[in-house]
Amino acid sequence: MPYLFAQLTSDDVAREIARLQHGYRFLSAAMIVAWAIVVVYVLLLVGREKRLKREIAGLKVMLEEKQK
Amino acid sequence: MRDKIVYLAGAAAIVIFARDIYVIAGLPEEASQGIIFKIIFFHVPMAIAAMLGSFVALVASVLFLATRNFRYDALAVSATEVGLVLLAGNLVTGSIWGRVAWGVWWAWDARLTSALVCWLLYAGYMMLRRAIEEPTQRATFAAVFSILAFIDVPIVIFSIKWWRTQHPQPVFWGGGSFPAEWLGVFLWNMAAMVLLGAVLTMVRLRQEDAQRELDAMRRMAHAF
Repeated sequence: MPYLFAQLTSDDVAREIARLQHGYRFLSAAMIVAWAIVVVYVLLLVGREKRLKREIAGLKVMLEEKQK
Repeated sequence: MRDKIVYLAGAAAIVIFARDIYVIAGLPEEASQGIIFKIIFFHVPMAIAAMLGSFVALVASVLFLATRNFRYDALAVSATEVGLVLLAGNLVTGSIWGRVAWGVWWAWDARLTSALVCWLLYAGYMMLRRAIEEPTQRATFAAVFSILAFIDVPIVIFSIKWWRTQHPQPVFWGGGSFPAEWLGVFLWNMAAMVLLGAVLTMVRLRQEDAQRELDAMRRMAHAF
């Protein structure tokens, strides 16, 4: 094992660091995009919920006024 | 009460994901693919949760055609919409994995193409619903479309068995193996993803109920 370490040059180390960073960059991008899709959908659901509640409340008031 | 259960389930899913992300970050790299292999912890659960959504939509569509109960139509559209979101996540994570593993963002092999067709079919289902005004006609056409669209789901699942594909063979039931420590995290993540899908479907279902109430009130308002 110490013999193997002795074989490593600074180029090998730099290559290994670059390989790791490359993988991390794409893994991070995948996680961010995947969760962003879910978060955007949740925000759309929240927006739709608010709109529905507002419209139902408005129609309820209108119907109550008409019944009077 | 139902709302509380739904929000509690949603919170449980978030807690499981947070714990899993912490554990996954500490796992060692896979020997041949490196760190990018860790995408499997999200890519596969998203696909399985999406396919479950398609199956729920299929059952609900059949039940709607049999009973004409609009609750089933509401369940079908809710499950389809959530499945569409999860399948989008699956396609995007797969594409990013492909860029590292294969050097290309996309390959027109049987698995990828059938999954994309599946996404397009269910997107078409959502568009069809928007195009038809009359509720009974909309629900009937959508149910028939959903049943036909489901034909693509087994093609997506078995495409890697039926054809020679660039997409890897499955890790489970396909000759691959997973260390026990990884399998535990994977199964927890899968449970969390299915739970998240179920919670989103329940929230969406409640909105369909609210939309029906709103439509009934509009009709009443016009009648005055």
